Amino acid sequence: MVRTLVPRRTAVAAVAALSLTGLAACSGDGTDPAVPGAGGGAKDDLVAAAPVAANLPAGSTMEKIRKRGQLLVGGSLDAPLLSQQNPATKQVEGLDADFGRLLAKYIIGKPNVKIVNSASETREALLSNGTVDVVFQTYSITPERAKQVAFAGPYYSSGLVIATKKGAAGITSPADLKGRTVIAGANTPAIPAIKKAAPDAKIVTFGSDPECVQALKQGRGDAYVQDEAVLLATAKQDPSVQIQGKPFTSDPYGIGLKHGDAQMKQFVNDWLKQIQASGLWAKVWKNSIGTVVPGEAPRPPAIGSAPGSE
Amino acid sequence: MNVITDHLSEFGDGLLLTVGLTLLSLAGALVAGVVVAAMRVSPVRVLRAAGMVYVETLQNVPLLVWLVLAVFGLPEIGVMAGLFTSSVVVIALYQGAYTAEAVRSGINAVPVGQGEAARALGLTFPQSLRLVILPQALRTVVQPLGNIAIMTLMNTALAAAVGVVELTAAANRVNLAEARPIWIFVTAGLAYMALSGAIGLATGTLERKLAILR
Repeated sequence: MVRTLVPRRTAVAAVAALSLTGLAACSGDGTDPAVPGAGGGAKDDLVAAAPVAANLPAGSTMEKIRKRGQLLVGGSLDAPLLSQQNPATKQVEGLDADFGRLLAKYIIGKPNVKIVNSASETREALLSNGTVDVVFQTYSITPERAKQVAFAGPYYSSGLVIATKKGAAGITSPADLKGRTVIAGANTPAIPAIKKAAPDAKIVTFGSDPECVQALKQGRGDAYVQDEAVLLATAKQDPSVQIQGKPFTSDPYGIGLKHGDAQMKQFVNDWLKQIQASGLWAKVWKNSIGTVVPGEAPRPPAIGSAPGSE
Repeated sequence: MNVITDHLSEFGDGLLLTVGLTLLSLAGALVAGVVVAAMRVSPVRVLRAAGMVYVETLQNVPLLVWLVLAVFGLPEIGVMAGLFTSSVVVIALYQGAYTAEAVRSGINAVPVGQGEAARALGLTFPQSLRLVILPQALRTVVQPLGNIAIMTLMNTALAAAVGVVELTAAANRVNLAEARPIWIFVTAGLAYMALSGAIGLATGTLERKLAILR
């Protein structure tokens, strides 16, 4: 057989083009901003108003970061409202991303952040081997995790809600998930939460939020359990998805630090207290989650209140 | 070690699903591979072309893309199967393309005289393929087929991306609760190694039994 390269390439390109059209079709019409929570100019004001630490303890991790001139943050690039890269500007936007920039400004004086795309499988290792300085990635504080890493915060408290297809009846509370097929994001706190609320529910997991939504719409599950902010953004963009009831869990998100670095934990907690008191925290919330959640910013959780963050 | 012993049932369930996925996909791949290889050496031009298109299309798109297309794309045109079933079918068809190429190389390794003798005896093409060519061809490609079997086993991990809780997905879930990635994924890796080791042993034994001494 003669193997010619040209037809092969055409075939691959055709398939790639096909799958791209498929993806584009999933993300709704083009008139909506592609990224909810894209704050635009407001972000510069945030950074401008952010405090800078007066003096750093000699020999501390913070001093090393200032010398380097860049804060290495373990985070996501695909979490809507929290840490998502805007394809147009390449800026990473959202609550976690903004907090990362503010912390960088506090340590270095400039919001120089490099986001290292980390996954829930790798976060602990990245922190302990020093690849990243901090982790801002919807990192729920748990006592098990606190054995591997140190948590500053909690800096935000979120909760899981249930979404169904529009018009679906019979699922309004976690107890209604009993015996149902429930969709959840792989590696999200939704999995243990569903197991706790409805032990005999069948859990189906997919890698990303758009895949989960697609699966819900195709009827691969009766409900989809996800973080409230993420689901609010989804439901806003896609009218065929409906949120049922109020959040049924409370997930305290912490800032992951190297295990045992008490000095830095204290430092980051002090910074959190400062920005909470100055109202900057509320502005960051308004700039991201506040774009889909109506009303004023909630009260930030008390520092050290979550088991594992003491 | 507690992280592992506390979650033995999760690991066990995942391992069973991995083994199930592998065996079913392999059976499918073997059937698809032999059929496609036969098409590619047949005297009918349309069949040869169809076989070639099959192999080139399947091999030149990553398996993960096929899985995502089958799970999220097909329901859009009204074809919806379970996640496990979809994964088995997709992996079987994908590995079938590689199996077909391995089997075809085996067919090409059978001396021309064998085919000529079969024809001289008055056997039709299907008869000569079934009774003379394929039995010799398959014996020569035991080792490459064993490699494909190991590759199939490793590729079943991609089913984790479309919601099948096989060994890799199970390890991920355990890690989500325990946050001990090194122990957990080393354990999963050792399980994969044990499985592929078993496949390797089986292939070696088969090859010694079936080898043709020329």
